[in-house]
Amino acid sequence: MGVADWIRERKEHLDLFDETKTQYQYNPLYLLGPMLYYFYMITVVSGVILMLWYEPTTTGAYDSIVRISREIGRVTIGGLVLPLGSLVRSVHKYAADAVFVCFILRIYRMYFAGEYKRPGELGWMIFFLGLVLTMISGVTGYLLIWNQRAFWAAKTILTVPVYLDELTAWIPQIGQNLTFGSMIAYIFLGGPAIGQATITRFYSLHFGISIILLLLMEIYVYRTRRERLKMSWFPLVLFFVMVLVVSWILPAEMGRRADPNRTPLPILSDWYFLALYQYVKYTPPLWAGLGPGLLIGVGMLVPFLDRSKSRHPLDRPLFFVLGLLALFYFLAFTTLIMWNIAQIEREPPIVLLVTIPVMGAAFVWHLWRRWRQGRAAPSPPAAPPPRPREAQPAETP
Amino acid sequence: MGTQSQRLDRRAFLRFITTVPILGATAAFLSPLLRLLKPNVKPFEVLYSPTAQDIPLGEVAVAASVSELAKPWDFRYFVFTQKYPQYTPTGLRQASVPGVVLRLPQKIKLPWDWASSIGKPQFVGQESDIIVFSRICPHLGCIYNFVSEWKEVQAGYGGYTPPDNRKHALMACPCHLSIYDPADPTQPGRVLSGPAPRPPRTFLYEIRGKEIVVTDVEPGGIA
Repeated sequence: MGVADWIRERKEHLDLFDETKTQYQYNPLYLLGPMLYYFYMITVVSGVILMLWYEPTTTGAYDSIVRISREIGRVTIGGLVLPLGSLVRSVHKYAADAVFVCFILRIYRMYFAGEYKRPGELGWMIFFLGLVLTMISGVTGYLLIWNQRAFWAAKTILTVPVYLDELTAWIPQIGQNLTFGSMIAYIFLGGPAIGQATITRFYSLHFGISIILLLLMEIYVYRTRRERLKMSWFPLVLFFVMVLVVSWILPAEMGRRADPNRTPLPILSDWYFLALYQYVKYTPPLWAGLGPGLLIGVGMLVPFLDRSKSRHPLDRPLFFVLGLLALFYFLAFTTLIMWNIAQIEREPPIVLLVTIPVMGAAFVWHLWRRWRQGRAAPSPPAAPPPRPREAQPAETP
Repeated sequence: MGTQSQRLDRRAFLRFITTVPILGATAAFLSPLLRLLKPNVKPFEVLYSPTAQDIPLGEVAVAASVSELAKPWDFRYFVFTQKYPQYTPTGLRQASVPGVVLRLPQKIKLPWDWASSIGKPQFVGQESDIIVFSRICPHLGCIYNFVSEWKEVQAGYGGYTPPDNRKHALMACPCHLSIYDPADPTQPGRVLSGPAPRPPRTFLYEIRGKEIVVTDVEPGGIA
């Protein structure tokens, strides 16, 4: 079977936003498609409104955010002060957070329910890549506030590629000059330090990623005639009210203006990066780049690494345990960094002492399971599962 | 049969021949595209030394006066300015390298072996009890702090307890909790804990009259 056939078959079964073909119509986890699209649209629209007032310069960025939050669109209706500018900014932030929640829940659902198996490989890869792009959009958008937290987050993340130079430095004679890792960092930063060029480039990337994703989504919808928002009006209104209420109660925070000569303690980032931050404390800096790169690579290739036929999590214990462990570390590392605990002598050995036996046991379990399946059915039917999926509860993360 | 295979061979040969100009055209197309992203790379330089044009230029600065560092563990922060190329229409930009100058309790050999690489071999092997570090963390480029009390390091930077012979002022980074010992006699700035791969960079300094004058910073990348 050629590549074209392979892609055609996957494209026929691709359901990015419209998941009405599944059996689980009463399971809210199968509303994540339209929810993702909906929150994405709210983010784009509120972002465009913010662009009217935002000024992408090192000197003016922070002040323009302060103005948006305090002065712009401040209306008084019968004694009630309504800070519309602050509300739009908060809606932008929380709708973007909701996009992340949808992505993460969807990826965990696809993982534990085995939806990445044939013919779902393409859908899985698109969603995984989408999560990575959304994270890039998150980092680049974050710096635009130009506060301390954002400045140092950008600084540390873009110093990570510099350590790739250690790999090219192994080449004899010319290796010392082949600083491609630094070049990647300099291209994103617009020079060897964070400055005006950085904010300009990040502004362009933040906007560009959203627009390109939007175009690709529309082309997909046009070509496949799938629906984008297959949802009744009630959840649509409810979700919007939820975002509004959260924005009203917890307006997006301002932080302190970025100061290139002082790093605050402790330094945190957006919630979806916290676990990664803790990981960076534990490893040599080269692995701060290679680790997440490996995670993305393995994540993209999961459909091809997991060869088992069954979709039930207990029929593929290695991948089931790996998913649980990843979830556990995400939560544990996030907790540790919130308490500002990190001791390089104590914790990495504990992590290894947990990971190696657990993954070893999962591997043995996996082999035992395969062996027992092989004995029970000497010639297993190789047919792919029928399209309405086998009845099984979706694993919730 | 023979003629057919011959024809296919010829076709394969022609196809092979045409790939060479296609590859060349792709490279010729990608090269200006790269310079759109990174304007200060020369046409073929990207193949052998892509960041050669990004080396910053420093300016001589006064770090402190000698009288400010009378007692051991006295320290002072200062800022050393460097000019970086920046990829904007206006070009070069000033950026500052924060530093710390401090007096150690005893004389040590300063880690200045790198001085010969910038053409100042007279600095190699000097001993002194005044040392000047760049405050850029060698891990991921945050600005670390000089902490006079090691108990503050223990309380605020992840719970590290130094061994008894290092219970003095330490340097610690807020970002990923790397902790350095500025007074280590064999390797000043030795990494005691945390992910940093090496000690922080140092400055060359001269004592001119009553002032400690910083002239050069150890060359290297952005962290």
